[in-house]
Amino acid sequence: MTTAVRLCGVDLQETESTRAIVEAIEADNPEITVRHVPGLVKIQSVNPVVIKRESVEARLGRPWETHEFQMAIVSYAGHIAEWDDDEIVIKWEH
Amino acid sequence: MQYELRQQVVEPKRQAYQYLIDRFGDRPASRYEEGTVDVQATENFHYRPTWDPDHELYDHGYSVLRLTDPYSFLDPRQLYYAPYVTSRAAHYDAFARTLAYLNERSLLERLPAGWRTVLTTLVLPLRHYESGAQLLSCDGARFAYGTSVEQCCTFAAFDRIGNAQLLSTVGLALGDGADTELANAKRAWLEEPALQGLRRYVEELLVQRDWGVSLVALELLDGLLYPVVYRHLDEVALLTGAGAWSLVAQHFSGWYKEQQQWLKALEKAWRADPEQGEANAAALAAIRDAWLPKATAAVAALAAAVDAALPDAGAATFADGLTTEVFA
Repeated sequence: MTTAVRLCGVDLQETESTRAIVEAIEADNPEITVRHVPGLVKIQSVNPVVIKRESVEARLGRPWETHEFQMAIVSYAGHIAEWDDDEIVIKWEH
Repeated sequence: MQYELRQQVVEPKRQAYQYLIDRFGDRPASRYEEGTVDVQATENFHYRPTWDPDHELYDHGYSVLRLTDPYSFLDPRQLYYAPYVTSRAAHYDAFARTLAYLNERSLLERLPAGWRTVLTTLVLPLRHYESGAQLLSCDGARFAYGTSVEQCCTFAAFDRIGNAQLLSTVGLALGDGADTELANAKRAWLEEPALQGLRRYVEELLVQRDWGVSLVALELLDGLLYPVVYRHLDEVALLTGAGAWSLVAQHFSGWYKEQQQWLKALEKAWRADPEQGEANAAALAAIRDAWLPKATAAVAALAAAVDAALPDAGAATFADGLTTEVFA
């Protein structure tokens, strides 16, 4: 018997301003796959995807609030399990 | 019938300019990197300056503090023209709103006794201090080596003249729109004994040629002056009913936090430099030993004068317990 793997993930716009976010996600989540399609960055993962404010700020060079993440999202797969001031977690909850 | 939609990805021939690919590899570069890294000319200077034949137009030798690779320092704020201008426009708008509020409620006129003296004779003259700091930053903008440092100095210079202007607008508001308080402040800067240490410090820095020494020594003084005037007096103002000063001071302490960000990064780069690191550390120690006592004395004199006008301010005690964070 095989168990189906459910991938969670998020699609972001590919712009100058979201590049820092993508780099931060890549650094904090070593097991993700990142696919660049025109205008879009598709991030997929078996494990929960974590977006940390601190990592984004370090790459962006300015304060960044987690709600700004909404400006970058095109679509996502999974549940937004956590969305507070310091991090966002996307995963399947059941 | 089923259709499968597929997209075709066309790889760009190059992700960035060649000078960035040489340094960082073929990856997309940020606007900040494009406008900063390796931008300053490093060769083919045909003529040496007639006023300084020992140096090239851009030369490592203008300071004892050097970086083997000037771009081992990058501005953590990643400021280039557009974000700098946008962020400062917002900064000034916020200050203008504060000032409008102060005027509307006549808060400056209703300051408790002693505060007006402190502001007009001790704080307002600091616009001349900021003006001196602007000249010192300009010196760094011209003589530093590497665009990343020069750029930070340029922005710092504009920030400093901006700070002087913000203080001036407070002075105009204190004088009910007339420039009397500004004229008094100029006289205080030249004659008030409590300010002479600061004036002497800035003027001595203005006549020495090493931009690095100026930058470090200025920060040693800033690191004591800003906490006393814009942080401690801010707290005192809140507790003694001088809310007007607290509203003004927040803009300066906020700016100073940002200023320290790049200075901290620069210090780190200077100390971590593989070839120059030790020499830099020795130079930093020498600058600290030469200038920090003077800075401490200058700020102590100012703090004592503040305490004389506001007996409960405790500025001298606060200044006494201060240590500089950067270049210490």
